[in-house]
Amino acid sequence: MPGSAARTGTERGRPRPVYVRRFWPEERSLHWLLAVTFVILLATGLILYLPAFAELAANRRLWKSLHLGAAIAFWAGLVVLVASDTGGRLRTTASEVDRFDEDDLRWMRWAVTRRGDEPPQGRFNAGQKLNTAVVFGLMLVFSVSGLLMYLQETDAAVRGRTSAILVHDVATWIAVPLVAGHLYLVLVNPSTRHSLRGMVLGTVRRDWARRHHPKWDADD
Amino acid sequence: MGERRIGRAAFLSVVGAGGIGLLFGDRITSALHAPIADAGSIVPNAIKDVFPTGWRIYAINPPWPTFDPADYRLEITGHVRKPVTLTWPEVSALPAVSQTNTFHCVTGWTVSNVHWRGVRLQTLWDMVEPLPSARYANFVSMERGYVDTLSMKQTILPGVMLAHTMQGRPLSRAHGSPMRLVIPEMYGYKNVKWLHRIELVPQLEPGFWEQNGYDVDAWVGRSNGY
Repeated sequence: MPGSAARTGTERGRPRPVYVRRFWPEERSLHWLLAVTFVILLATGLILYLPAFAELAANRRLWKSLHLGAAIAFWAGLVVLVASDTGGRLRTTASEVDRFDEDDLRWMRWAVTRRGDEPPQGRFNAGQKLNTAVVFGLMLVFSVSGLLMYLQETDAAVRGRTSAILVHDVATWIAVPLVAGHLYLVLVNPSTRHSLRGMVLGTVRRDWARRHHPKWDADD
Repeated sequence: MGERRIGRAAFLSVVGAGGIGLLFGDRITSALHAPIADAGSIVPNAIKDVFPTGWRIYAINPPWPTFDPADYRLEITGHVRKPVTLTWPEVSALPAVSQTNTFHCVTGWTVSNVHWRGVRLQTLWDMVEPLPSARYANFVSMERGYVDTLSMKQTILPGVMLAHTMQGRPLSRAHGSPMRLVIPEMYGYKNVKWLHRIELVPQLEPGFWEQNGYDVDAWVGRSNGY
């Protein structure tokens, strides 16, 4: 698993940080595919949804095309990434996200109560695993409900058969706080924002990894 | 150390909840409507206006106009031979018809089985006798700034009426009391609420939302990018 040292050594006696690989290019590609398409989907969706943007929404054809285009781009990109993942990196990632050990379960309790020491975590902590699983579930829910909304706009016979608008709305209400929390942790929170480097460049500082993901670092 | 497959359980739970929501969501929210409405009453209107929940009442200049039967007048002017100003008792005495339609909002929500009762526009045209130069009818709301327009041909399409009754009750304030335009084949923004003046004009004068980019002919499923 990950952990090949990317850079080591000293410079004029000052220790240079040691970086270890956290995310493979396949994982980063999938993450940024999701991030970019989600931002487009959210922005165009809000324009079509919020009364404050009713005047902008008059150009409905444009926003709807961008919204649908981003959804199609996400699924097409996902298919391409999975099909080209001959090394099975994404499958390995999915397996990591899927499996929760006793420390993960303890970590989830700790995340709520904040009592005692933080249970040691692997490359992903339990919160990241849960977030990944829920977000991909939401993407499927968004897509199915969105497809039904598209069909009911084009065919009156489909209208009223499902609660597609309600489900799309509720999924948005769940997704937005999740994404906001994610952005807070990677952009603002001092102890966790170093993780952004991992998703941009692939590597993180070894000392940071040992502090936040000791079980993964131990496998290094 | 034992491992549990919580990741896929979370994924499948979200997908399963989404599926149940698609099949039963509207029925569940209908059953919860009263408790949700009670809970929602503590939410300030300013927040409700920013974040719509389900279908919602749009207003361009809240608060909604208030109807006073003693003061209300329906004025029909412009390119007509006999302009009239009707009091509320006179409007109420006009021959009325009933119909049930599906209401479509341009933002995507739909309400089926809306029962209307009201006056056909032809009834009014017979009274005022439009001049040959009258090609469009501007429907002016008591809500400041809200106006929308139909061609004279559109005003006599089947189902077009000035409704004063909805679901067997006088139109509520939220739904445009005492009268609103109903044109089931077009999106809701054409259905001018709190109506108090109709002006027949020779040329198209785009309404409030048309001036903001929406289609003049708001046919359901065939306009505004649908």
